[in-house]
Amino acid sequence: MSANKDIKQLTRDDFVTDQEPRWCPGCGDYSILAQTRKVLPEIGVPRENIVWVSGIGCSSRFPYYVDTYGIHGIHGRAAAIASGVKLANPDLSVWVATGDGDALSIGGNHFIHLFRRNIDINMVLFNNQIYGLTKGQYSPTSEHGKITKSSPLGSIEHPFNPVSLAIASGATYIARTMDRDPHHLSEMLLKASQHEGTSFIEVYQNCNIFNDGAFFHLTDKKVRSENVIYLEHEKPLIFGTNKDKGLTFNGKSFDVLNLANGDKESDVMIYDEYEYDSTIAFSLSKLTYNPSKPTPVGIFRNVNVNLYEKQMVQQIEDHTASNGKGDLKSLLASGESWSVN
Amino acid sequence: MAKQLLKGNHAIVKGALLAGCRLYFGYPITPASEIAEGAALYFPRLGGTFLQAESEVAAINMVYGASSGGLRVMTASSSPGISLKQEGVSYAASAELPMVIVNIMRGGPGLGNIAPEQSDYNQVVKGGGHGNYKVPVLAPNSVQEMCNLTMLAFDIAEKYRTPVYILADGYIGQMMEPVEFPKPVMNLPRHDWAIYADAESKDNLIASIYLDPEELEEHNRKLQRKYAEIEKNEVRLEEFMLDDAKYVLIGYGIVSRMLKTAVEKLRNENIPIGLLRPKTLFPFPSKKIKEITQRIEKFMVIEMSNGQMIDDVRLAVEGKIPIEFYNRMGGVVPSTDEIVEQVKKQLLQGERG
Ligand code: SF4
Repeated sequence: MSANKDIKQLTRDDFVTDQEPRWCPGCGDYSILAQTRKVLPEIGVPRENIVWVSGIGCSSRFPYYVDTYGIHGIHGRAAAIASGVKLANPDLSVWVATGDGDALSIGGNHFIHLFRRNIDINMVLFNNQIYGLTKGQYSPTSEHGKITKSSPLGSIEHPFNPVSLAIASGATYIARTMDRDPHHLSEMLLKASQHEGTSFIEVYQNCNIFNDGAFFHLTDKKVRSENVIYLEHEKPLIFGTNKDKGLTFNGKSFDVLNLANGDKESDVMIYDEYEYDSTIAFSLSKLTYNPSKPTPVGIFRNVNVNLYEKQMVQQIEDHTASNGKGDLKSLLASGESWSVN
Repeated sequence: MAKQLLKGNHAIVKGALLAGCRLYFGYPITPASEIAEGAALYFPRLGGTFLQAESEVAAINMVYGASSGGLRVMTASSSPGISLKQEGVSYAASAELPMVIVNIMRGGPGLGNIAPEQSDYNQVVKGGGHGNYKVPVLAPNSVQEMCNLTMLAFDIAEKYRTPVYILADGYIGQMMEPVEFPKPVMNLPRHDWAIYADAESKDNLIASIYLDPEELEEHNRKLQRKYAEIEKNEVRLEEFMLDDAKYVLIGYGIVSRMLKTAVEKLRNENIPIGLLRPKTLFPFPSKKIKEITQRIEKFMVIEMSNGQMIDDVRLAVEGKIPIEFYNRMGGVVPSTDEIVEQVKKQLLQGERG
């Protein structure tokens, strides 16, 4: 990224566009937008080096509302489009705004391959567990049994867990946060921007029109402390209103320790977000739909793995070092090609 | 530099290099994979990028993204792969993104086979994807043209801000002929609509959405004006022995090679016959066909398909004179003798083949 003296002076107002957001009043998307506008001035990149790419869905209106470059692309294809944008112009800070339908249904294939390649792109997935733009059909993250307009008797499909899927696909920065926790949300965005490689942030986002309260148990003041555990690097996995519960790994999965009832604090796992092996991160992600265990938010995994675009450059440099610089004229006559008169 | 003997598919890659294209996104498919392999070998060596995408759909969307950056970019595939790309082509046509798409046609429908056919005329020339769009289509019939028309495709794509197709078949892709390489394109222009990483072009937004019907109508009208402009400026064709011809054969791509030899053989028997070969399928040489219609007796269209281009000939001829038809399908390439025989049967004796 080219250094720019003016970057520091940018404020959130610099990222506001003249477009009035077309989201329903009360939608969780507003919070994501507000935090994004807050974080972008802090990432140290000039506005003209930032591009937001989206697909189709409520989330995908995002590029209209952040004053950077924007590509409002094709349903499900934002990850592929963003890959093209980034490789054509590696100087850009590339962000993808997507939703559970966009990224996981129609774009599921691009989603996993983005992580496998590890191109330096940041993807923010607005997970509201419903199709909002098309007015309320079940999505690939809707829970089993969910009654919607397209599942009037209840969905008989099992939901994806986007974090588990991202871990399994080899993503190198994986975080989860919530629209109702703006401070945490902005921290996850900022850390994603600092990560070199593909970053994935799942945001639990309330669609107050078609799926209101889907994350109530995680966001309501009265109950959230019992249901949410914050993953923090080098800190013990502790939760609960009185900070009296902890998680311990039994070799297979996580157990809840009751510290008020005699369980030892020394048995609580100390979290290491930089651990390369993703076994622990994966097991934590599996707590998500378990009613007797807390749902983790925070950074599941944050590791440095060969960056796609760096390897690309390195390969050519190595090849050039031993074979000389590529030259158009000699390449034209190379391969399965023979000179004739 | 001495002429080089090489395969059609390789000539496409080298034409792209000469045109200054350094970005390739694609998915392997026979008989087009050599284009991807060539791009993988050459593009990075000249500072470019090659990426093997997870699907045809991903490849065209990566092309869409890269084209947004204002750089020359391409992909290549074969018939079933092109069907998958159609979504992206429609969006790119609307967002007015230049790109070159190569279709090395194979036998269909369905999985069909990997032998050469011309059965993608409709899916490529008639748009293929949804909406009111068209794409310029160039149809080479030699290895030299695989190179030259690829270069031209990039120019047309940029000039009119549109995807452009190279429509060839497995036969031309695999055939080897000597090629004289044209001069490389040196200075590529900067585009005022693209996303460069600089302040000057910061306000650009690439999109194909127009929620207001009147606005979308206006956008569509603008696209149609562009297609009219392309029809006016970009028609390319080859004429062979047309001046005194009473009968004219029409065919494109590999078929036109057989037709040319057939015309030569028939001329040796003093039959007044000529050949018209469209080099551009959109824009189609309708004007030329209309003009010839005034002075000849019959056309005969030969295709390696169920008869797709013939519809465009019919539209140009407007029923004024008869149009005979001969075809092979499934990957069978008609021989020159076969064509000579059909011409005698259908054109000269009036029998249906
Ligand atoms: S439908 Fe739901 S997700 Fe979409 S804007 Fe409205 S509240 Fe937000």
